[in-house]
Amino acid sequence: MKYWIGMILACCALTASAKDFLIVASRPNDLHVIDLAARKVVHTYRIPGHGIASTISVAPDGKVAYVLTDRNESISGIDLDSGKQVFRADMSYANVRVKSMFSIAVSQDGKHLYVYELPTRLKADEYQVMHTRIAVYDTADGVGAKPRHEFPAPRRIGLLAPTSDGRLMALGWDVYLFNTATGAIDKTFPLRNWKRKGFGEPDILDFWPQYEQAHMMSTPYYVPRTDVDPKSPEAVKLGIMTFDLDTDSMAVTEVGNADAGLFTSVVNPVNKHEVFAVMNQLYKIDLAARKVVQRARVHRTYYAINISSDGKELYLGGASSFIAVYDAQTLQKKAEIPMPGESDQGASSLRIVRR
Amino acid sequence: MKRLIPLNEKARSLAAGPEGQTDGEARLMGNIVGCTTVFDPGWEVDANGGLSGLCQPMESDLYGCTDPCWWPAQVGDSMNVDPEWTDGKNSALRDWRQLQTLFPED
Repeated sequence: MKYWIGMILACCALTASAKDFLIVASRPNDLHVIDLAARKVVHTYRIPGHGIASTISVAPDGKVAYVLTDRNESISGIDLDSGKQVFRADMSYANVRVKSMFSIAVSQDGKHLYVYELPTRLKADEYQVMHTRIAVYDTADGVGAKPRHEFPAPRRIGLLAPTSDGRLMALGWDVYLFNTATGAIDKTFPLRNWKRKGFGEPDILDFWPQYEQAHMMSTPYYVPRTDVDPKSPEAVKLGIMTFDLDTDSMAVTEVGNADAGLFTSVVNPVNKHEVFAVMNQLYKIDLAARKVVQRARVHRTYYAINISSDGKELYLGGASSFIAVYDAQTLQKKAEIPMPGESDQGASSLRIVRR
Repeated sequence: MKRLIPLNEKARSLAAGPEGQTDGEARLMGNIVGCTTVFDPGWEVDANGGLSGLCQPMESDLYGCTDPCWWPAQVGDSMNVDPEWTDGKNSALRDWRQLQTLFPED
């Protein structure tokens, strides 16, 4: 009995003392661990091989970061405590060049890594485009891992996210929900193929996965109105798409006119009606009220955004060599964390782990 | 183009286009002429054909374009063709003057 009481108290103490860390990559092939409370980079690990490191996926235990690298042809798993490469999958083989356009995700139990692959057979006088697929790796296979199985997937997928029930959400022209055991698409949520009266096709540019805090994938989208004068400010609308990874449900909400570009968004984990989005401006959006409630200019472009576990701070990153910290209530800048060597993050993900 | 006649199977396949493709996937951008001929003021245009909606400063977007091969004709392609173009130049804002003009090898 004493043992279990001790264990429970230890777990409570661990939870109480757990802190948010930001995991981000920068050129040429570095992975950084940032202590957000201390506002500083506490670890920088060089990923073996060629760069450029981009998409990052970390299981909820926060131990290993899986990073797309090697000109998008490899995934390297880096132990966040030691910096050691504990997993490596080089996707290309023989005369088949395999790349992934930013679509990797580790399952919520940390056991499986899903990679959306674009294979091309490089023949003597021809590049033969092969069918796109999702490869499933066992993370326990370590360095030199090969796919345990693969299944076909539609083209143009740019983002993967694992659901709580072990399935896989994929954002492409539509949203697909995969059964990862059989490879079947259990459900398709239409985006480009939606049939909404008065609306055209939505346009989305988003390959930054940042769903871990609220268990909700979200992205801005732009959509033309077909029943409005094209010269009207109302002719193109800004919307937010959300996909709840706990309930496997999708929602789309128009929140205003499309008068500025936004790349990415994140859902507040303590108020899931509140969404923040960024590019050259920082937006606070109320999905329940269906409107943008606050906007602020930022000092430079940021591709990606994430949020603290208590919903009070926003972290902006990607593109150049800074992480900016903003207050989620006031949208005022609180701090800036430079990347070592002023190295650019480019298309790197911006992931939070709590440890 | 009407005077070019495919003579072998490969040429005929190129002339015919991808098998079974009924709907074109490539779409023209409604952009201004000339954005690819100079590095500054830029290699891309915003949705209104201007520059104000682009990344700020514009250099911050350079490696976000080169690394994923986003504008392969306008800027270097770090993924396939020009993997060493940016080696040692890890900050586009600081190092862009050192990036050299690229020419086809043959």
